Amino acid sequence: MPAHAGIGLRAQHHAEVLNERPAVGWFEAHSENYFADGGAHLDYLDRIRADYPLSLHGVGLSLGSADPLDREHLRRLARLSRRVEPALISEHLSWSSVGGTFANDLLPLPYTEEALRHVSAKIAQAQDLLGRRILIENVSSYLEFSCSRIPEWEFLAAVATTSGCGILLDLNNIYVSACNHGFDTQAYLEAMPRNAVEELHLAGHTPVIHDGRELLIDTHSAPVCADVWQLYQAALARFGEVPTLIEWDADLPPLAILVAEADKANSIREALYAHAA
Amino acid sequence: MPTLLELQVEFLHAISGAPGGSTFLQRTIRPSGFSPARRLAIYANNAEANYLASLRASFPAILRLVGEAYFNQCGRELRRTHPSRSGDLQHVGAAFPTYLAARHRDDAYRYLGDVARLEWLYQEALTAADHASLDLGALAAVPPARYEALCFSLHPSVRLFASPFPAHAIWDANVASAAEPERLDLDQGADRLLLHRTAGGIVFQQLKPGEWAFLHGLACTCGFGAAVAAATQADPEFDAVAVLHQLVHGNVIVAFALPLDAEQQ
Repeated sequence: MPAHAGIGLRAQHHAEVLNERPAVGWFEAHSENYFADGGAHLDYLDRIRADYPLSLHGVGLSLGSADPLDREHLRRLARLSRRVEPALISEHLSWSSVGGTFANDLLPLPYTEEALRHVSAKIAQAQDLLGRRILIENVSSYLEFSCSRIPEWEFLAAVATTSGCGILLDLNNIYVSACNHGFDTQAYLEAMPRNAVEELHLAGHTPVIHDGRELLIDTHSAPVCADVWQLYQAALARFGEVPTLIEWDADLPPLAILVAEADKANSIREALYAHAA
Repeated sequence: MPTLLELQVEFLHAISGAPGGSTFLQRTIRPSGFSPARRLAIYANNAEANYLASLRASFPAILRLVGEAYFNQCGRELRRTHPSRSGDLQHVGAAFPTYLAARHRDDAYRYLGDVARLEWLYQEALTAADHASLDLGALAAVPPARYEALCFSLHPSVRLFASPFPAHAIWDANVASAAEPERLDLDQGADRLLLHRTAGGIVFQQLKPGEWAFLHGLACTCGFGAAVAAATQADPEFDAVAVLHQLVHGNVIVAFALPLDAEQQ
Protein backbone atom coordinates (compact mmCIF):
# COMPACT_ATOMS: atom_id res chain seq x y z
CA MET A 1 0.00 0.00 0.00
CA PRO A 2 1.54 3.36 -1.00
CA ALA A 3 2.23 6.09 1.54
CA HIS A 4 0.39 8.52 -0.81
CA ALA A 5 -2.91 9.08 1.00
CA GLY A 6 -6.09 7.28 -0.02
CA ILE A 7 -9.78 8.07 0.35
CA GLY A 8 -12.87 6.09 1.25
CA LEU A 9 -14.76 4.80 -1.77
CA ARG A 10 -18.46 5.65 -1.70
CA ALA A 11 -21.10 4.60 -4.23
CA GLN A 12 -22.00 8.22 -5.01
CA HIS A 13 -18.46 8.67 -6.40
CA HIS A 14 -18.14 5.42 -8.37
CA ALA A 15 -18.70 6.85 -11.84
CA GLU A 16 -16.67 10.01 -11.16
CA VAL A 17 -13.70 7.98 -9.91
CA LEU A 18 -13.68 5.96 -13.12
CA ASN A 19 -14.06 9.03 -15.30
CA GLU A 20 -11.71 11.39 -13.46
CA ARG A 21 -9.08 8.92 -12.13
CA PRO A 22 -8.26 11.19 -9.15
CA ALA A 23 -4.61 11.31 -8.05
CA VAL A 24 -5.06 9.47 -4.77
CA GLY A 25 -2.82 6.64 -3.65
CA TRP A 26 -5.53 4.07 -2.99
CA PHE A 27 -9.16 3.48 -2.06
CA GLU A 28 -10.76 1.89 0.96
CA ALA A 29 -14.13 0.20 0.49
CA HIS A 30 -16.54 -0.84 3.23
CA SER A 31 -16.56 -4.61 2.83
CA GLU A 32 -20.29 -5.08 3.49
CA ASN A 33 -21.23 -2.64 0.72
CA TYR A 34 -19.83 -5.15 -1.75
CA PHE A 35 -21.15 -8.41 -0.26
CA ALA A 36 -23.67 -8.72 -3.11
CA ASP A 37 -23.51 -11.74 -5.39
CA GLY A 38 -23.19 -9.50 -8.46
CA GLY A 39 -24.42 -6.26 -10.00
CA ALA A 40 -23.23 -2.74 -10.72
CA HIS A 41 -21.51 -1.93 -7.41
CA LEU A 42 -19.25 -4.96 -7.65
CA ASP A 43 -18.55 -4.17 -11.28
CA TYR A 44 -17.47 -0.64 -10.32
CA LEU A 45 -15.25 -2.04 -7.58
CA ASP A 46 -13.57 -4.42 -10.03
CA ARG A 47 -12.87 -1.60 -12.46
CA ILE A 48 -11.56 0.77 -9.79
CA ARG A 49 -9.42 -2.03 -8.36
CA ALA A 50 -7.86 -2.46 -11.80
CA ASP A 51 -6.31 1.00 -11.44
CA TYR A 52 -5.78 1.49 -7.70
CA PRO A 53 -4.63 -0.49 -4.66
CA LEU A 54 -7.57 -1.32 -2.43
CA SER A 55 -8.24 -1.87 1.26
CA LEU A 56 -11.36 -3.68 2.57
CA HIS A 57 -12.67 -2.15 5.78
CA GLY A 58 -15.39 -4.10 7.60
CA VAL A 59 -17.98 -2.84 10.05
CA GLY A 60 -20.04 -5.98 10.62
CA LEU A 61 -17.85 -8.85 11.81
CA SER A 62 -18.57 -8.03 15.48
CA LEU A 63 -15.23 -9.43 16.64
CA GLY A 64 -15.77 -8.26 20.23
CA SER A 65 -19.13 -10.00 20.56
CA ALA A 66 -19.48 -12.79 23.12
CA ASP A 67 -21.05 -14.79 20.26
CA PRO A 68 -18.87 -17.21 18.31
CA LEU A 69 -17.20 -15.89 15.15
CA ASP A 70 -19.79 -15.17 12.44
CA ARG A 71 -18.69 -17.76 9.86
CA GLU A 72 -21.19 -16.65 7.21
CA HIS A 73 -20.05 -13.03 7.41
CA LEU A 74 -16.44 -14.16 7.23
CA ARG A 75 -17.23 -16.41 4.25
CA ARG A 76 -18.59 -13.41 2.36
CA LEU A 77 -15.56 -11.33 3.30
CA ALA A 78 -13.25 -14.12 2.10
CA ARG A 79 -15.16 -14.34 -1.19
CA LEU A 80 -14.82 -10.58 -1.73
CA SER A 81 -11.15 -10.74 -0.76
CA ARG A 82 -10.47 -13.46 -3.34
CA ARG A 83 -12.21 -11.31 -5.96
CA VAL A 84 -10.46 -7.96 -5.41
CA GLU A 85 -7.18 -9.06 -3.74
CA PRO A 86 -6.99 -6.14 -1.28
CA ALA A 87 -3.65 -4.93 0.06
CA LEU A 88 -5.21 -4.61 3.53
CA ILE A 89 -8.24 -5.99 5.36
CA SER A 90 -9.38 -4.26 8.54
CA GLU A 91 -12.10 -4.46 11.20
CA HIS A 92 -12.90 -2.76 14.50
CA LEU A 93 -12.09 -3.29 18.16
CA SER A 94 -15.76 -3.33 19.07
CA TRP A 95 -18.86 -5.48 19.05
CA SER A 96 -22.25 -5.01 17.39
CA SER A 97 -24.24 -8.15 18.13
CA VAL A 98 -25.08 -10.72 20.75
CA GLY A 99 -27.34 -13.75 20.52
CA GLY A 100 -27.41 -13.22 16.74
CA THR A 101 -29.17 -9.83 17.02
CA PHE A 102 -27.28 -6.87 15.59
CA ALA A 103 -27.19 -3.18 16.50
CA ASN A 104 -25.12 -2.50 13.36
CA ASP A 105 -23.08 0.04 15.28
CA LEU A 106 -19.55 -0.02 16.69
CA LEU A 107 -20.25 -0.64 20.38
CA PRO A 108 -17.59 -0.24 23.08
CA LEU A 109 -15.96 -3.16 24.86
CA PRO A 110 -15.32 -3.39 28.57
CA TYR A 111 -11.54 -3.41 28.85
CA THR A 112 -11.21 -6.52 31.00
CA GLU A 113 -8.97 -9.59 30.92
CA GLU A 114 -11.95 -11.68 29.79
CA ALA A 115 -12.73 -9.35 26.86
CA LEU A 116 -9.05 -9.23 25.93
CA ARG A 117 -8.78 -13.03 25.77
CA HIS A 118 -12.06 -13.34 23.90
CA VAL A 119 -11.53 -10.69 21.21
CA SER A 120 -7.90 -11.73 20.66
CA ALA A 121 -8.95 -15.35 20.14
CA LYS A 122 -11.66 -14.34 17.66
CA ILE A 123 -9.27 -12.11 15.71
CA ALA A 124 -6.73 -14.95 15.57
CA GLN A 125 -9.47 -17.33 14.38
CA ALA A 126 -10.59 -14.87 11.69
CA GLN A 127 -6.99 -14.48 10.52
CA ASP A 128 -6.59 -18.26 10.36
CA LEU A 129 -9.75 -18.65 8.29
CA LEU A 130 -8.85 -15.75 5.97
CA GLY A 131 -5.29 -16.99 5.69
CA ARG A 132 -3.84 -13.53 6.31
CA ARG A 133 -3.19 -10.86 8.91
CA ILE A 134 -5.86 -8.24 9.45
CA LEU A 135 -5.74 -4.78 11.01
CA ILE A 136 -7.87 -3.80 13.99
CA GLU A 137 -9.07 -0.22 14.45
CA ASN A 138 -9.74 1.67 17.69
CA VAL A 139 -13.26 3.15 17.79
CA SER A 140 -14.70 6.36 19.18
CA SER A 141 -16.64 5.87 22.39
CA TYR A 142 -19.20 7.80 24.35
CA LEU A 143 -19.10 5.85 27.59
CA GLU A 144 -16.73 3.84 29.78
CA PHE A 145 -17.59 0.75 31.80
CA SER A 146 -16.98 0.67 35.53
CA CYS A 147 -15.64 -2.87 35.15
CA SER A 148 -12.85 -1.82 32.73
CA ARG A 149 -9.47 -2.53 34.32
CA ILE A 150 -7.12 -1.84 31.38
CA PRO A 151 -6.60 1.54 29.64
CA GLU A 152 -7.86 1.41 26.04
CA TRP A 153 -4.38 1.96 24.57
CA GLU A 154 -2.92 -0.91 26.57
CA PHE A 155 -5.87 -3.10 25.61
CA LEU A 156 -5.38 -2.38 21.87
CA ALA A 157 -1.62 -3.01 22.08
CA ALA A 158 -2.24 -6.27 23.95
CA VAL A 159 -4.81 -7.40 21.36
CA ALA A 160 -2.22 -6.85 18.63
CA THR A 161 0.48 -8.73 20.54
CA THR A 162 -1.80 -11.61 21.53
CA SER A 163 -3.61 -12.14 18.23
CA GLY A 164 -0.81 -11.14 15.87
CA CYS A 165 -3.04 -8.59 14.12
CA GLY A 166 -1.86 -5.21 12.90
CA ILE A 167 -3.27 -1.89 14.12
CA LEU A 168 -5.30 0.59 12.11
CA LEU A 169 -4.95 3.67 14.23
CA ASP A 170 -7.84 6.10 13.78
CA LEU A 171 -6.51 9.43 14.98
CA ASN A 172 -9.90 11.11 14.97
CA ASN A 173 -11.25 8.29 17.15
CA ILE A 174 -8.38 8.74 19.60
CA TYR A 175 -9.11 12.47 19.70
CA VAL A 176 -12.88 12.04 20.11
CA SER A 177 -12.51 9.50 22.92
CA ALA A 178 -9.74 11.51 24.59
CA CYS A 179 -12.01 14.58 24.68
CA ASN A 180 -15.00 12.53 25.87
CA HIS A 181 -13.13 10.65 28.59
CA GLY A 182 -10.25 12.96 29.41
CA PHE A 183 -7.14 10.99 28.50
CA ASP A 184 -3.90 12.07 26.84
CA THR A 185 -3.67 11.49 23.06
CA GLN A 186 0.13 11.46 23.15
CA ALA A 187 0.18 8.70 25.75
CA TYR A 188 -2.10 6.69 23.46
CA LEU A 189 0.33 7.04 20.53
CA GLU A 190 3.29 6.13 22.70
CA ALA A 191 1.59 2.96 23.93
CA MET A 192 1.23 1.61 20.38
CA PRO A 193 3.89 -0.90 19.31
CA ARG A 194 5.68 0.91 16.44
CA ASN A 195 5.77 -1.99 14.00
CA ALA A 196 2.14 -2.96 14.49
CA VAL A 197 0.63 0.30 13.16
CA GLU A 198 0.06 -0.30 9.45
CA GLU A 199 -2.63 2.24 8.59
CA LEU A 200 -3.89 5.60 9.86
CA HIS A 201 -7.40 7.01 9.55
CA LEU A 202 -8.27 10.69 9.48
CA ALA A 203 -11.86 11.92 9.68
CA GLY A 204 -14.12 14.65 11.00
CA HIS A 205 -16.42 14.65 14.00
CA THR A 206 -19.32 16.72 15.36
CA PRO A 207 -19.56 18.33 18.80
CA VAL A 208 -22.95 18.17 20.53
CA ILE A 209 -23.95 19.98 23.69
CA HIS A 210 -25.92 18.22 26.42
CA ASP A 211 -26.73 19.91 29.72
CA GLY A 212 -24.16 22.60 28.93
CA ARG A 213 -21.36 20.09 28.37
CA GLU A 214 -19.75 19.15 25.08
CA LEU A 215 -19.48 15.62 23.75
CA LEU A 216 -17.80 14.74 20.46
CA ILE A 217 -19.58 12.34 18.10
CA ASP A 218 -17.66 10.47 15.41
CA THR A 219 -19.87 11.40 12.48
CA HIS A 220 -17.41 11.24 9.55
CA SER A 221 -19.30 14.21 8.19
CA ALA A 222 -16.78 17.04 8.36
CA PRO A 223 -13.20 18.00 7.46
CA VAL A 224 -10.36 16.80 9.68
CA CYS A 225 -9.96 19.29 12.54
CA ALA A 226 -6.74 21.16 13.35
CA ASP A 227 -6.05 19.16 16.51
CA VAL A 228 -6.29 15.87 14.59
CA TRP A 229 -3.92 17.19 11.91
CA GLN A 230 -1.45 17.90 14.73
CA LEU A 231 -1.94 14.41 16.05
CA TYR A 232 -1.26 13.15 12.52
CA GLN A 233 2.15 14.85 12.54
CA ALA A 234 2.96 13.18 15.84
CA ALA A 235 1.79 9.80 14.52
CA LEU A 236 3.90 10.09 11.35
CA ALA A 237 6.91 11.01 13.45
CA ARG A 238 6.42 7.92 15.61
CA PHE A 239 5.24 5.32 13.10
CA GLY A 240 6.87 6.47 9.84
CA GLU A 241 5.19 6.87 6.45
CA VAL A 242 2.17 4.74 7.23
CA PRO A 243 -0.63 4.53 4.59
CA THR A 244 -3.22 7.15 5.49
CA LEU A 245 -6.90 7.33 4.64
CA ILE A 246 -9.43 10.18 4.59
CA GLU A 247 -12.80 8.83 5.80
CA TRP A 248 -16.00 10.71 5.04
CA ASP A 249 -19.39 8.96 5.12
CA ALA A 250 -22.26 11.29 6.04
CA ASP A 251 -23.05 14.56 4.22
CA LEU A 252 -20.65 13.35 1.55
CA PRO A 253 -18.99 16.28 -0.24
CA PRO A 254 -17.82 16.36 -3.89
CA LEU A 255 -14.94 14.02 -4.69
CA ALA A 256 -12.60 17.00 -5.11
CA ILE A 257 -12.99 17.89 -1.41
CA LEU A 258 -11.88 14.40 -0.38
CA VAL A 259 -8.94 14.54 -2.77
CA ALA A 260 -7.97 17.94 -1.29
CA GLU A 261 -8.00 16.45 2.23
CA ALA A 262 -5.78 13.60 1.00
CA ASP A 263 -3.44 16.17 -0.60
CA LYS A 264 -3.19 17.93 2.75
CA ALA A 265 -2.19 14.66 4.41
CA ASN A 266 0.42 14.15 1.68
CA SER A 267 1.84 17.65 2.22
CA ILE A 268 2.27 17.01 5.94
CA ARG A 269 3.97 13.67 5.32
CA GLU A 270 6.23 15.08 2.61
CA ALA A 271 7.24 18.05 4.76
CA LEU A 272 8.10 15.70 7.60
CA TYR A 273 10.09 13.28 5.49
CA ALA A 274 11.41 15.90 3.03
CA HIS A 275 10.82 13.91 -0.12
CA ALA A 276 7.94 13.30 -2.51
CA ALA A 277 6.04 10.02 -2.48
CA MET B 1 -18.05 -7.83 37.72
CA PRO B 2 -20.43 -8.82 34.89
CA THR B 3 -19.26 -11.28 32.27
CA LEU B 4 -18.82 -10.03 28.70
CA LEU B 5 -21.99 -11.88 27.71
CA GLU B 6 -24.06 -10.44 30.57
CA LEU B 7 -22.91 -6.91 29.79
CA GLN B 8 -23.59 -7.23 26.05
CA VAL B 9 -27.07 -8.75 26.51
CA GLU B 10 -28.07 -5.90 28.81
CA PHE B 11 -26.47 -3.26 26.60
CA LEU B 12 -28.13 -4.48 23.41
CA HIS B 13 -31.50 -4.64 25.15
CA ALA B 14 -31.05 -1.09 26.44
CA ILE B 15 -30.38 0.34 22.96
CA SER B 16 -32.86 -1.81 21.03
CA GLY B 17 -35.85 0.47 21.47
CA ALA B 18 -37.50 -2.03 23.81
CA PRO B 19 -39.38 -0.51 26.75
CA GLY B 20 -37.90 -0.56 30.25
CA GLY B 21 -34.64 0.78 31.63
CA SER B 22 -31.73 -1.23 32.89
CA THR B 23 -30.53 -0.64 36.42
CA PHE B 24 -27.74 -3.08 35.60
CA LEU B 25 -26.27 -0.67 33.08
CA GLN B 26 -26.86 2.33 35.31
CA ARG B 27 -24.43 0.62 37.70
CA THR B 28 -22.06 -0.57 34.97
CA ILE B 29 -21.50 2.71 33.10
CA ARG B 30 -19.28 5.39 34.63
CA PRO B 31 -21.43 8.50 35.08
CA SER B 32 -18.52 10.99 34.73
CA GLY B 33 -20.19 14.17 33.50
CA PHE B 34 -23.19 12.75 31.68
CA SER B 35 -25.72 10.29 33.04
CA PRO B 36 -25.42 6.67 31.87
CA ALA B 37 -28.86 7.07 30.24
CA ARG B 38 -27.62 10.04 28.21
CA ARG B 39 -24.55 8.13 27.09
CA LEU B 40 -26.59 5.04 26.17
CA ALA B 41 -29.01 7.22 24.19
CA ILE B 42 -26.20 8.09 21.74
CA TYR B 43 -25.77 4.41 20.87
CA ALA B 44 -29.54 3.84 20.80
CA ASN B 45 -29.96 6.73 18.37
CA ASN B 46 -27.09 5.53 16.16
CA ALA B 47 -28.44 1.98 15.99
CA GLU B 48 -31.95 3.15 15.16
CA ALA B 49 -30.70 5.69 12.61
CA ASN B 50 -28.63 3.03 10.84
CA TYR B 51 -31.61 0.66 10.65
CA LEU B 52 -33.96 3.37 9.36
CA ALA B 53 -31.40 4.63 6.84
CA SER B 54 -31.10 1.15 5.37
CA LEU B 55 -34.90 0.89 5.07
CA ARG B 56 -35.12 4.32 3.46
CA ALA B 57 -32.48 3.36 0.91
CA SER B 58 -34.38 0.19 -0.04
CA PHE B 59 -37.91 1.65 -0.12
CA PRO B 60 -37.75 5.15 -1.66
CA ALA B 61 -41.24 4.91 -3.18
CA ILE B 62 -42.83 3.91 0.13
CA LEU B 63 -40.96 6.76 1.82
CA ARG B 64 -42.36 9.25 -0.67
CA LEU B 65 -45.85 7.79 -0.47
CA VAL B 66 -46.21 7.81 3.32
CA GLY B 67 -43.81 10.60 4.34
CA GLU B 68 -40.80 10.39 6.62
CA ALA B 69 -42.62 10.55 9.96
CA TYR B 70 -44.93 7.59 9.28
CA PHE B 71 -42.15 5.68 7.51
CA ASN B 72 -39.92 6.01 10.57
CA GLN B 73 -42.77 4.99 12.88
CA CYS B 74 -43.25 1.82 10.83
CA GLY B 75 -39.49 1.27 10.72
CA ARG B 76 -39.19 1.50 14.50
CA GLU B 77 -42.01 -1.00 14.95
CA LEU B 78 -40.44 -3.34 12.40
CA ARG B 79 -37.13 -3.10 14.25
CA ARG B 80 -38.77 -4.26 17.47
CA THR B 81 -40.30 -7.33 15.81
CA HIS B 82 -37.60 -7.92 13.18
CA PRO B 83 -34.27 -6.66 14.50
CA SER B 84 -31.23 -6.92 12.27
CA ARG B 85 -29.86 -10.46 12.25
CA SER B 86 -26.76 -9.70 10.18
CA GLY B 87 -23.66 -7.54 10.19
CA ASP B 88 -24.72 -6.56 6.69
CA LEU B 89 -27.60 -4.09 7.10
CA GLN B 90 -28.78 -4.52 3.54
CA HIS B 91 -30.95 -7.48 4.63
CA VAL B 92 -33.18 -5.64 7.09
CA GLY B 93 -35.82 -4.69 4.55
CA ALA B 94 -36.81 -8.27 3.74
CA ALA B 95 -39.68 -8.30 6.26
CA PHE B 96 -40.96 -4.79 5.49
CA PRO B 97 -43.38 -5.70 2.64
CA THR B 98 -45.14 -8.35 4.75
CA TYR B 99 -45.27 -5.96 7.71
CA LEU B 100 -46.84 -3.18 5.61
CA ALA B 101 -49.30 -5.57 3.96
CA ALA B 102 -50.47 -6.80 7.36
CA ARG B 103 -50.70 -3.28 8.80
CA HIS B 104 -52.85 -2.04 5.93
CA ARG B 105 -54.68 -5.26 5.03
CA ASP B 106 -58.14 -3.77 5.39
CA ASP B 107 -57.74 -0.08 4.71
CA ALA B 108 -57.38 2.28 1.76
CA TYR B 109 -53.60 1.81 1.73
CA ARG B 110 -53.70 -1.94 1.12
CA TYR B 111 -51.55 -1.46 -2.01
CA LEU B 112 -48.54 -0.38 0.10
CA GLY B 113 -47.48 -3.96 0.85
CA ASP B 114 -47.34 -4.79 -2.86
CA VAL B 115 -45.41 -1.61 -3.74
CA ALA B 116 -42.93 -2.48 -0.98
CA ARG B 117 -42.68 -6.05 -2.29
CA LEU B 118 -41.87 -4.67 -5.75
CA GLU B 119 -39.19 -2.39 -4.26
CA TRP B 120 -37.62 -5.32 -2.42
CA LEU B 121 -37.57 -7.46 -5.59
CA TYR B 122 -35.87 -4.50 -7.28
CA GLN B 123 -33.19 -4.53 -4.57
CA GLU B 124 -32.76 -8.29 -4.98
CA ALA B 125 -32.41 -7.90 -8.75
CA LEU B 126 -29.76 -5.19 -8.28
CA THR B 127 -27.51 -7.43 -6.21
CA ALA B 128 -28.16 -10.89 -7.72
CA ALA B 129 -25.28 -12.83 -9.24
CA ASP B 130 -24.04 -12.06 -12.73
CA HIS B 131 -24.38 -14.68 -15.46
CA ALA B 132 -23.06 -15.05 -18.99
CA SER B 133 -25.47 -15.11 -21.94
CA LEU B 134 -26.92 -18.34 -23.26
CA ASP B 135 -24.58 -20.42 -25.38
CA LEU B 136 -26.53 -20.20 -28.64
CA GLY B 137 -24.16 -22.57 -30.43
CA ALA B 138 -24.78 -25.30 -27.88
CA LEU B 139 -28.54 -24.71 -28.08
CA ALA B 140 -28.44 -24.97 -31.87
CA ALA B 141 -26.84 -28.39 -31.53
CA VAL B 142 -29.84 -29.79 -29.63
CA PRO B 143 -31.83 -32.16 -31.89
CA PRO B 144 -35.38 -30.82 -32.50
CA ALA B 145 -36.81 -34.06 -31.15
CA ARG B 146 -35.41 -33.15 -27.72
CA TYR B 147 -36.70 -29.57 -27.54
CA GLU B 148 -39.60 -30.49 -25.28
CA ALA B 149 -37.24 -31.88 -22.66
CA LEU B 150 -35.05 -28.76 -22.52
CA CYS B 151 -34.82 -27.21 -19.06
CA PHE B 152 -33.99 -23.52 -19.29
CA SER B 153 -32.46 -21.46 -16.47
CA LEU B 154 -33.30 -17.83 -15.90
CA HIS B 155 -30.78 -15.08 -15.12
CA PRO B 156 -30.21 -14.90 -11.32
CA SER B 157 -31.65 -11.37 -11.28
CA VAL B 158 -35.02 -12.45 -12.75
CA ARG B 159 -37.98 -11.82 -10.45
CA LEU B 160 -41.67 -12.34 -11.25
CA PHE B 161 -44.20 -10.06 -9.58
CA ALA B 162 -48.00 -10.15 -9.55
CA SER B 163 -50.38 -7.77 -7.81
CA PRO B 164 -54.06 -6.82 -8.12
CA PHE B 165 -52.85 -3.18 -7.95
CA PRO B 166 -50.94 -1.11 -10.53
CA ALA B 167 -47.87 -1.34 -8.26
CA HIS B 168 -45.36 -0.55 -10.99
CA ALA B 169 -47.20 2.61 -12.03
CA ILE B 170 -47.26 3.69 -8.37
CA TRP B 171 -43.55 2.93 -7.98
CA ASP B 172 -42.70 4.66 -11.23
CA ALA B 173 -44.63 7.81 -10.29
CA ASN B 174 -42.81 8.01 -6.95
CA VAL B 175 -39.27 7.02 -7.86
CA ALA B 176 -38.51 7.12 -11.56
CA SER B 177 -40.23 10.46 -12.04
CA ALA B 178 -39.18 13.55 -10.12
CA ALA B 179 -42.42 15.30 -11.02
CA GLU B 180 -45.34 15.47 -8.64
CA PRO B 181 -47.14 12.15 -9.15
CA GLU B 182 -50.44 12.29 -10.97
CA ARG B 183 -53.50 10.67 -9.44
CA LEU B 184 -53.60 6.96 -10.11
CA ASP B 185 -56.66 4.75 -10.29
CA LEU B 186 -56.08 1.66 -8.12
CA ASP B 187 -58.51 -0.22 -10.38
CA GLN B 188 -56.65 0.68 -13.56
CA GLY B 189 -55.25 -2.83 -13.88
CA ALA B 190 -53.34 -5.61 -12.21
CA ASP B 191 -49.59 -6.11 -12.55
CA ARG B 192 -47.89 -9.20 -13.91
CA LEU B 193 -44.27 -8.19 -14.19
CA LEU B 194 -40.90 -9.54 -15.15
CA LEU B 195 -37.95 -7.71 -13.52
CA HIS B 196 -34.40 -8.40 -14.57
CA ARG B 197 -31.06 -6.65 -14.63
CA THR B 198 -29.41 -5.49 -17.83
CA ALA B 199 -26.28 -3.42 -18.42
CA GLY B 200 -28.50 -0.34 -18.31
CA GLY B 201 -30.19 -1.19 -15.00
CA ILE B 202 -33.33 -3.01 -13.88
CA VAL B 203 -35.92 -3.57 -16.61
CA PHE B 204 -39.64 -3.99 -15.87
CA GLN B 205 -41.77 -5.76 -18.45
CA GLN B 206 -45.52 -6.26 -18.20
CA LEU B 207 -46.34 -9.84 -19.15
CA LYS B 208 -49.34 -11.23 -21.01
CA PRO B 209 -51.05 -14.24 -19.37
CA GLY B 210 -49.26 -16.71 -21.64
CA GLU B 211 -45.83 -15.12 -21.04
CA TRP B 212 -46.47 -15.16 -17.29
CA ALA B 213 -47.41 -18.84 -17.31
CA PHE B 214 -44.42 -19.66 -19.50
CA LEU B 215 -41.88 -17.85 -17.30
CA HIS B 216 -43.51 -19.21 -14.17
CA GLY B 217 -43.11 -22.70 -15.62
CA LEU B 218 -39.43 -22.10 -16.43
CA ALA B 219 -38.80 -20.56 -12.99
CA CYS B 220 -40.30 -23.68 -11.43
CA THR B 221 -37.80 -25.67 -13.52
CA CYS B 222 -40.49 -27.25 -15.67
CA GLY B 223 -39.27 -28.58 -18.99
CA PHE B 224 -39.77 -26.40 -22.06
CA GLY B 225 -42.65 -28.55 -23.28
CA ALA B 226 -44.56 -28.29 -20.00
CA ALA B 227 -43.98 -24.53 -19.84
CA VAL B 228 -45.30 -24.08 -23.38
CA ALA B 229 -48.34 -26.21 -22.53
CA ALA B 230 -49.09 -24.04 -19.48
CA ALA B 231 -48.62 -20.87 -21.55
CA THR B 232 -50.92 -22.07 -24.34
CA GLN B 233 -53.56 -22.98 -21.80
CA ALA B 234 -53.39 -19.44 -20.38
CA ASP B 235 -53.32 -17.85 -23.83
CA PRO B 236 -54.18 -19.85 -26.94
CA GLU B 237 -52.36 -17.21 -29.04
CA PHE B 238 -49.06 -17.73 -27.16
CA ASP B 239 -46.17 -17.70 -29.65
CA ALA B 240 -43.47 -19.86 -28.04
CA VAL B 241 -40.82 -19.21 -30.70
CA ALA B 242 -41.17 -15.42 -30.58
CA VAL B 243 -41.20 -15.30 -26.78
CA LEU B 244 -38.23 -17.66 -26.50
CA HIS B 245 -36.30 -15.51 -28.98
CA GLN B 246 -37.07 -12.36 -27.01
CA LEU B 247 -36.12 -13.91 -23.64
CA VAL B 248 -32.84 -15.35 -24.93
CA HIS B 249 -31.77 -12.10 -26.59
CA GLY B 250 -32.84 -10.12 -23.55
CA ASN B 251 -30.54 -12.30 -21.43
CA VAL B 252 -33.51 -13.50 -19.36
CA ILE B 253 -32.88 -17.13 -20.30
CA VAL B 254 -29.17 -17.77 -19.77
CA ALA B 255 -28.59 -21.53 -19.65
CA PHE B 256 -30.17 -24.85 -20.44
CA ALA B 257 -29.83 -28.45 -19.44
CA LEU B 258 -30.96 -31.54 -21.29
CA PRO B 259 -31.95 -34.41 -19.04
CA LEU B 260 -30.66 -37.79 -20.07
CA ASP B 261 -33.40 -39.62 -21.99
CA ALA B 262 -34.46 -43.17 -21.23
CA GLU B 263 -32.06 -44.72 -23.74
CA GLN B 264 -29.07 -42.77 -22.41
CA GLN B 265 -29.98 -43.72 -18.85
